[in-house]
Amino acid sequence: MSAVPAQSLPAPRRAPERPRWLRPAPEPGNGRAKPRLAYAIIAVAGVAVIVVAQLLLSIAITQGAYDIDHATMQQTTLDRQEQQLREDLDRVESPQYLAANAEALGMVPNSNPVLLRLSDGTVSGDPSAATGGAAASAPLVPNALIDGVPLVTEQPAGETPKGETAAGAVDEAGAEAPVEAQAPPPAGDGLPTPATH
Amino acid sequence: MNRTSRHPMRRILASAVVLVVLVGVFVVKLVDIQVVRAQALNAKSQDARSQPVKVWGARGDIVDANGTVLADSVMRYDIVISPKQAELAVLERKQAKHPKQKVEVTTEELVAEIAPAAAELGPVVGLTGDQVVGVITSKLAEDPDSDYAFLAKQVDTTAYEAVKALDIAWVYAEKHPSRTYPNGAVGGNLLGFLQADDGTPLAGLELAEDQCLAGTDGEVSYLHSAADWVPIPGSEVVHKQAKDGGTLKLTIDADLQYYVQRVAEEQRRAVGADWATVTVMEVKTGRLLAIADVPTVDPNDPSATDAEDRGSRAFTAPFEPGSTFKALTAASVLDAGKATPVDQIIAPYRYLPPNGANINDSSYHDDERLTLTGVLVDSSNTGMSMFGERISDRQRYDDMLDFGLGEQTEVGFPEEAAGDLHGDPDDWDNQTKYATMFGQGLTTTAVQIASVYQTLANGGVRMPVTLVDGCTTADGETTSPPAQGTRVVSEQAADDTSAMLERVYAEGWLADQWEIPGYRVAAKTGTAQVAGPDGQYLPGYLVSVSGFAPADDPEFVVSVSFQNAVKMNSSAASAPVFQEVMSQVLKKYRTVPSGAPAPDLPAIW
Repeated sequence: MSAVPAQSLPAPRRAPERPRWLRPAPEPGNGRAKPRLAYAIIAVAGVAVIVVAQLLLSIAITQGAYDIDHATMQQTTLDRQEQQLREDLDRVESPQYLAANAEALGMVPNSNPVLLRLSDGTVSGDPSAATGGAAASAPLVPNALIDGVPLVTEQPAGETPKGETAAGAVDEAGAEAPVEAQAPPPAGDGLPTPATH
Repeated sequence: MNRTSRHPMRRILASAVVLVVLVGVFVVKLVDIQVVRAQALNAKSQDARSQPVKVWGARGDIVDANGTVLADSVMRYDIVISPKQAELAVLERKQAKHPKQKVEVTTEELVAEIAPAAAELGPVVGLTGDQVVGVITSKLAEDPDSDYAFLAKQVDTTAYEAVKALDIAWVYAEKHPSRTYPNGAVGGNLLGFLQADDGTPLAGLELAEDQCLAGTDGEVSYLHSAADWVPIPGSEVVHKQAKDGGTLKLTIDADLQYYVQRVAEEQRRAVGADWATVTVMEVKTGRLLAIADVPTVDPNDPSATDAEDRGSRAFTAPFEPGSTFKALTAASVLDAGKATPVDQIIAPYRYLPPNGANINDSSYHDDERLTLTGVLVDSSNTGMSMFGERISDRQRYDDMLDFGLGEQTEVGFPEEAAGDLHGDPDDWDNQTKYATMFGQGLTTTAVQIASVYQTLANGGVRMPVTLVDGCTTADGETTSPPAQGTRVVSEQAADDTSAMLERVYAEGWLADQWEIPGYRVAAKTGTAQVAGPDGQYLPGYLVSVSGFAPADDPEFVVSVSFQNAVKMNSSAASAPVFQEVMSQVLKKYRTVPSGAPAPDLPAIW
């Protein structure tokens, strides 16, 4: 026994402690403290609190799941609506539809460019009236998507292609056109220039 | 003391052994479950409690240079019915009325019972009520357990909502992503199209750029509540991440493309041509602003167009360019320093060079005293031969290669033709050696010719032909094509050629028809023949005009070709289209008109 501690501790110090080995064991029950009720209550209450908290959390998460599900469904519906509206918009935005409408309103393209140079008032090009082809442009560049979409001239007054009322856009254009024609810009005092910087 | 101490030791030892064995068993079992068989068990449990749900990775859009959507992915719905469930529903209702006996449903009863629902459902998906009933009864006749029958494929959202609102138990919808082309046939030949039912790209850029556009479908599964299928939080397992496709941006301008197609188709019908192509290219960048191929396919409905008209002939149909090619030969001769624009020759109607070839002009004329400029203005084959023979065949051939002929352009369009320079100059026979000087005996595509004129307009620097501006992936990364030009001929040679082509525009026989007031234009006509798939020449001629404007500071190349214009078999068929398109391009891009008139070069002496 003495050989092992001798390597780390001086033997003489260890020697006097030897008698302790033979000390009688303490009486049973003497060293154990009596458990108090408070500790038990704290422990049980702690467990209860944890259980209740977890339950509440779980309820909250489940509620959240239903909220998310509801919101997701709403989003799906709105996405569908958005897609539908965008498709409608793309349809009526297509050049074929614009051209068909322009033709229905009696407009013809003018391929003769005439330019006015503001610096010296030079007109380059030969101003001439547009002589658009009589043929409708619709079959030239087909678009299967606008089949059956009514033109502005075919719709009841004040309705857009979507069927929503749009404050009489057609009537307005028709009413204002002659007014503009009556009032040419005053000439003589040089060319009118826009007040931009 | 020994007795009392040894007994507990043995007990402890025994319990320890039992404990170790027990724990050992648990550990083995645990490892078996958690590690060894983990994957199989997980999969099994997932299968048992949840079903994998497909997450669609949307195919990317194709947009034009300004962001106008040319091809768009949309969700469509297949309306599916379950004939068996329809029958069961009727059966259950009848059973409820007669709870005691065992009931059966006859076909007549079935038809009578489902007719009201079918009458409501039919019109929504474009069928009559009887047709819906017909689908159900015929399916049930084939197989009494039939649980799946298509009622309508790819209906739009409106119809889907309407079907859902009817709330019929035996009808449901399946998602089916689809593609729409909001601008219809605008650029249809370039865009290509997909197979309707499974979305396989079949043609055009949809096919060529599929790597950019294609999305990857993902798969997730989650546990759900029994009653209302609400996903249980935290139970979602992503088996495969869905990935949306990239957005493909083109150099095309949709408005211009529409205009060009419209003009080309109008003229094609007027002159009765088989087909026509119009190419608009930006001189300084080589970007293609519009490529009209008429007849044009509407990708929303490809089957409405003949199969042979669904591609882009500007890329895929090589032809002998004819006289438009003389500009290239002239530039080569000028670049070699073997001639100037005012060098003089005497051009006969028939020229018989020493090597035995026989060169004729298109119509008889007496000997003409022409300069190189005059040769181009008169489009004289004999005159061009006299200038072309001043440089070696090899040198001309090398220049052609430098101009981008004989190989596909950088665009890499599906089935794009490379053109054929009649093999190598060593293989050219005596006639071909001269024919290649004025654009016969070799083939090019319309885009290649536009690229040649781009090079001449851009001071001899050829820019790579660009149709795709870039691909922006869903993560926001953008790839752009390289934009490095290569010098083909000297700036002097290119400018001299340009000046000569201006004289062609001003003095040529179409001067009245293609005049664009206010701008200096350089242009050249061509008439040539096209070989069909069998190598034989097709009937009629391909008449073309290529040119650029404004000639003093070139911005745009326009190249027009009409094949077999039966009512007007000359370049006069192409000239008005050139004039209209070029006018529109100059107007659209607010090009400053030319100040000074074109420099004069003598055509005759």
